[in-house]
Amino acid sequence: MGAVMGDPDPDLVDVRAAQVDHSAFGTLYRRYLDRVYGYCFYLLGDHHDAEDATERTFLAALAAIDRYRDQGSTFRAWLFRIAHNQLANALRARSRQRTAPLDAVMEPMAPGDPAAELVQAEEARTVRRAVALLAEDRRQVIVLRFVDGLSAREIGAVIGRSEGAVRVLQHRALRDLAALLARR
Amino acid sequence: MNPTPSVAERLDHAIGQVLGGASPAVASASAGLDLTTRPLIEVAEAVRGALPVLPASPGFEGRLDARLTGAVASRDALAWALRHPGRLIVTGAVGSAVGVGVTAYAVWRSSRRSAPHRFLGR
Repeated sequence: MGAVMGDPDPDLVDVRAAQVDHSAFGTLYRRYLDRVYGYCFYLLGDHHDAEDATERTFLAALAAIDRYRDQGSTFRAWLFRIAHNQLANALRARSRQRTAPLDAVMEPMAPGDPAAELVQAEEARTVRRAVALLAEDRRQVIVLRFVDGLSAREIGAVIGRSEGAVRVLQHRALRDLAALLARR
Repeated sequence: MNPTPSVAERLDHAIGQVLGGASPAVASASAGLDLTTRPLIEVAEAVRGALPVLPASPGFEGRLDARLTGAVASRDALAWALRHPGRLIVTGAVGSAVGVGVTAYAVWRSSRRSAPHRFLGR
């Protein structure tokens, strides 16, 4: 993976520990399980497929953890790169993109006006449907940025694009979403 | 030096602020977004609310935890063997010798037991 300079890596101490004692990998696993799972789910649209891709990602990461080197890239970019490859395999095997829309997401219900909550939940569903209609590379950028909190540099390392290209994809994705949401 | 950030760079900066909890208005103003780009920050705010981090199910988490633990144990056993090839050879040799010994004893015992029957059958 190409060097990504400038992002401090908060996981480096735990990565070093896992390289010395593999049982310490559990710390990284628990830290990133939900995020990797979310990435897989939002791209595949199916809980079982997302679990399968998540499992493959962590088993592959454990198998390769000894080879991870701090070369300017962050551990999480490296981990999501593995997940990205697993997703590519899953999508190739499926030969079509999604079997289900992203409606299986549970809405976080805040205490308050039930009617307002229903409106909020419907709006969120509309946004997710619009995200599901994005081109795959744009959807990946949106999910990695908004769900997983990766920087443009890290996303570039994950999907194999430059930082500038990621920002352009992000811009275009939001423009597409604005157009899709305006049509509803 | 990059004197003028591009629209995409300014938008990225504003998105970072929205993800950090700033309001779209504050983020837009801080990033210096023009009027045509500001609506995209409203969209970014809507996306942030619509795509929560999804917790994996506890059952799946437990199963994967167990698989990783098993994978760690087998990796550690292999690593130990690779680090100590001499001990591995000795362990294998002792194991084989014990196996040969037990087999030889069993054959010897069975031959001792069946010997009187052969005499009786004469």
